[in-house]
Amino acid sequence: MNLLKNKAVQYTILAFVVALIPLLLDINRSTLTLWNMVIIYAIIAIGFNILLGYAGQISLGHAAFMGLGAYIAANLTGNLELPFLLSLVLSGLIPMVIGLILGLVALRLEGHYLAIATLGFGVAIQQVFKEWTAFTNGFSGVRADNPVIFGLEISEREHYFILGMIILLLLVLFAHYLLKSKTGRALLAMRDSEHAAQAMGVSLFKYKLIAFAASAFYAGIAGGLFMHLIRFTEPNAWGITLSLNLLAMVVIGGLATIGGSIIGAGFIVMVPEFIKDIEFLASIKSFATIFTGFAMIFVIMFFPHGIARIGTQIKIALLNRRNSRVDKGKGGAPNGRSKG
Amino acid sequence: MLNLEGVHAYYGYIHALKGVSLKVEEGSIVTLLGANGAGKTTILKVISGVLKASSGSVTFLDHDISKLAPEKVVSEGIVQAPEGRQIFPELTVIENLQVGAYTRRDKKNIKSSYQIVFDYFPILKERQDQLAGTLSGGEQQMLAIGRALMAKPKVLLLDEPSLGLAPLIVKDIFKIIQEINAQGTTVFLVEQNANQALAISDYAYVLETGKITVEGKASEIKEDPKVLQAYLGGH
Ligand SMILES: Nc1ncnc2c1ncn2[C@@H]1O[C@H](COP(=O)(O)OP(=O)(O)OP(=O)(O)O)[C@@H](O)[C@H]1O
Ligand SMILES: [Mg+2]
Repeated sequence: MNLLKNKAVQYTILAFVVALIPLLLDINRSTLTLWNMVIIYAIIAIGFNILLGYAGQISLGHAAFMGLGAYIAANLTGNLELPFLLSLVLSGLIPMVIGLILGLVALRLEGHYLAIATLGFGVAIQQVFKEWTAFTNGFSGVRADNPVIFGLEISEREHYFILGMIILLLLVLFAHYLLKSKTGRALLAMRDSEHAAQAMGVSLFKYKLIAFAASAFYAGIAGGLFMHLIRFTEPNAWGITLSLNLLAMVVIGGLATIGGSIIGAGFIVMVPEFIKDIEFLASIKSFATIFTGFAMIFVIMFFPHGIARIGTQIKIALLNRRNSRVDKGKGGAPNGRSKG
Repeated sequence: MLNLEGVHAYYGYIHALKGVSLKVEEGSIVTLLGANGAGKTTILKVISGVLKASSGSVTFLDHDISKLAPEKVVSEGIVQAPEGRQIFPELTVIENLQVGAYTRRDKKNIKSSYQIVFDYFPILKERQDQLAGTLSGGEQQMLAIGRALMAKPKVLLLDEPSLGLAPLIVKDIFKIIQEINAQGTTVFLVEQNANQALAISDYAYVLETGKITVEGKASEIKEDPKVLQAYLGGH
């Protein structure tokens, strides 16, 4: 029984149950493509949440890391014929190294300035994708094959979903243990007050680098998975829209929660699909983007802790109401932060 | 124990410290008085390595610490409760204390440190699972001091712990600072509340626009007409 209360065990069971759903039900291929996309965006959103939600560092250029991961995966499996898994790991590690550089920038810049610098970084890298045709094939785009793992080719969406789910689970568990440890507390401390964190002996240098490296790694892995799912990419996919969607995912889902990152990814991927089915809304150009923007404002105003914490927020509101009725004023506010 | 010799420090072109020398003897409470903008916090920043001195020396237990990164200074045993408390509002009280123990290597003894902090500040024990941002001002100050104690400091630096607190709470906090000192922690106290600070101190310095202008035993400084006028409300 106790084992079931363990968050890691819960994540694992949930992942396996969800991974099997497509095998048991008859779901069409395009729906399954979307589900796979949710997994991929969940991965990058978790990484981005480590950066924004835990470490308090903004980036408006993270689409670049995902794009980089995608191109690296395409080149390594295509041109160099490396095995899929090795190439996937590299499509995470190489962006990670570049993430370290952005981390160094973050040591010198804060807040708005960091936002502007990372925005510039994202735009510059997208430009590189357009120009460096040897690597990206420019606007004609690059293709990739189905992944092959130990001689097995994964061509069905059901199977890709299982693969994605396993990788997502591994990255969720990694994030979970990382954030529960001393590292997690140091990141939160840095987010709350850099000055005090430093006064307690937390090295800003170390933790800013960790946050940027981890988030770039997650983004790169997401890019690699994307490449082998869609099997085609071109530079326009990796622009500011994606970077902003990423921001929307973690804000709407909930800052500093792993579950919220996944919910946010589901929200941003699925909502445009629902809108597409509503004829009247679908006729409005870019309605999905407009909707995302408003959803973000709405959540920030009314559920600042994100969808993942709406339950806790309501519970606390009710508790406070009862408390203030029972005895006016006394008793501290309960802990408003759900773990996870 | 802690020595500053002819320390100069700049913020860009602003010459904030103009040759500051001071000494904090082991086991004592030393107070640094000074008006707003005199450079008190700047001195603490130089000691803790956040701001590098452009010239002069900072030594601790007879070795140079002026080039150390802030986190190394903490490992040396110099820990501060910063100005304006700066607790971590979205961490619980207990998590704030955990961050305080961040540089500790002696994991086994950390438990007893919580006990020590809770003995000084029983209210923190009551509030241990509460988010620190929801504490009252006085409680936050206690947490800031408690958090610093978790690092097991040899020297505790306190930057205006009485700022914005009701007189009764200030009295409590100064009493506890005295107790902490009695248990063997050296205290370097930055204050504008001269009366109470001098009452618990052994030695005191007065800083004016980046220069030490008066120094002496706390009991003598209390009688110094210049200090009386400037910091003790002129009585
Ligand atoms: N980050 C900074 N950049 C530029 N100038 C600064 C900075 N911090 C402080 N100063 C300047 O240095 C001088 C000393 O500031 P400091 O914060 O040390 O004063 P203080 O004695 O602690 O004052 P207070 O009692 O108000 O806290 C002031 O003139 C201040 O304007
Ligand atoms: Mg100050």
